[in-house]
Amino acid sequence: MLRFVTKKALGLASAEAPIRPIQILPRLYHERVVEHYNNPRNVGSFDKNDPSVGTGLVGAPACGDVMKLQIKVDEETGKIVDARFKTFGCGSAIASSSVATEWVKGKQMEEVLSIKNTEIAKHLSLPPVKLHCSMLAEDAIKAAVKDYEAKRAKVNGNWDASVRAADA
Amino acid sequence: MWRRKLLSLLSNDLLRRFRPASISGLPLRFYSKLHSSPLCIRDETSRPCGGARCDFLESLQFISSRSYSSHPVENSATRCWNCDYLARSSPFLVCETCRSVQPVDDSVDYFNIFGLEKNYEIDGNNLEGKYKDWQKKLHPDLVHTKSEREKDYAAEQSARVIDAYRTLGDMLARAIYVLKLEGVNIDEEETVSEPELLTEILEIREAVEEAADAQALKQIQSQMEDKLRHWSKSFADAIRCRKLGDAVISVRRMKYYARVKEEIFKRL
Repeated sequence: MLRFVTKKALGLASAEAPIRPIQILPRLYHERVVEHYNNPRNVGSFDKNDPSVGTGLVGAPACGDVMKLQIKVDEETGKIVDARFKTFGCGSAIASSSVATEWVKGKQMEEVLSIKNTEIAKHLSLPPVKLHCSMLAEDAIKAAVKDYEAKRAKVNGNWDASVRAADA
Repeated sequence: MWRRKLLSLLSNDLLRRFRPASISGLPLRFYSKLHSSPLCIRDETSRPCGGARCDFLESLQFISSRSYSSHPVENSATRCWNCDYLARSSPFLVCETCRSVQPVDDSVDYFNIFGLEKNYEIDGNNLEGKYKDWQKKLHPDLVHTKSEREKDYAAEQSARVIDAYRTLGDMLARAIYVLKLEGVNIDEEETVSEPELLTEILEIREAVEEAADAQALKQIQSQMEDKLRHWSKSFADAIRCRKLGDAVISVRRMKYYARVKEEIFKRL
C-alpha cells in the first residue's frame, strides 16, 4: 500500500497524469481502494430526523465493522439527490461505502436496490477475503432505502389520520 | 527387533499388573470431566460435545487395548512412534520414556493441552506456567540433533501449544473457540442490522476519533474493558445454560468492543 501511495505522490509531483497500469499485486490494496481511502467522497451525516433522509446502519459482527449510509431523497421525484456515509472498518469497507454513495447519487430509489455487491467488488478489485465488505455496502444501501420508505409510510399514515380527523 | 517386542510385551505385562489402579483412575478423571464440565451435561449415550466425545473414545480404546493386551489396539495417537510406549496420560504431546515429540493429534483440544476442564471460565489458572513447561519439552530448538520427522513434529506441536495459549488467554478468542467446539461458527459473511448496538458502537468509534488526548482514550478503553467483562460473564452464563443463541449474541458484542479496544491501542 505504501508503494501505491508513494507512487501516487510522485505521479502528482511530476505534474503528469499517467495512465497507471492496474497492478494486481498479491495482498496489496487496489489503486481505487487507496484512492477512496485517502480521498473519501461524501463522508458525513445528515440529520436523521429529516423526513427526506433515509439512514441505513449495518454491521459485520465477524470483523466488528460498522457502516452508516444516508440518502437524501427528493420527495416528488423519488430521486436520490445526495448521500453520505460513515464507516468504521477496514480500507475495503470504507472504499465500498464510498463507492456506494457515489453510485446512488442521481438514481431512483428502485434503481439503487439493484446495485449488487459483486459490482462494487469488481470496481474495487476486492480480493475474495474482502467480499463481505462490498456485501455490507449493498446491505447499507438497501437499509437506507427501507428506512426512508418506512418514514414515508409513517408520515403518510399520520397525514391520512390528520385529514380524517379534520374531516370529522 | 525382538528386543522391542520383548519390551512391549513386558510393558504390557506391567501395565496389566497396574491395571486396577489406573483403570479406576482413568474413568474417575473422565467422569469428573463429564459431570463438572458444563458443556457435557447430557448423558454419555447421546452425542456430547466434540472434545469430550473424543476423550471418551480415546479412553475406551485405551481400556480395550489393555483388556486384550495380547492384540493391542495399535493406535498411532496413543503409542509413541519412536519407542512404542503406550501413552498413559492425555494429552500425549511428548513421550515420557524416550522424550520424543509426538505428532499433532487434532482430537486433543486446547483445554486438554493445558489440563483444563472444557469450561469457558478458566480464570486463576496458571496458563503461563503450563505453557512454559510444555515449551521446555516441545520447542523446536530442542530437537536440533534429532530426525527430520521429529523436527517437523516439534514445529507443529509447539505451534499448536502457542495457539492454544493465545486462544485460551484471551476472553474473546476463548469464547469463539468454545463455540467452535460446540459446532457453532461465527459466520464471516453475515451482516446484521441491530440499530441500538450499532448506534452505540458508532458513537463510541466517533468518540475515539475525536478524543483529545491519551487520557480520554484510556477512559474509553476502560469502559470497553468493563463492557467486555460484562458480556464475557453473560457468555459464560449462556454457555452454562446451553443457550447457544444468546452465546453468539454475547460474542458478537464482545467482538465489537474488542475492535474498539484495538483502535484505541493503535492510537495510543
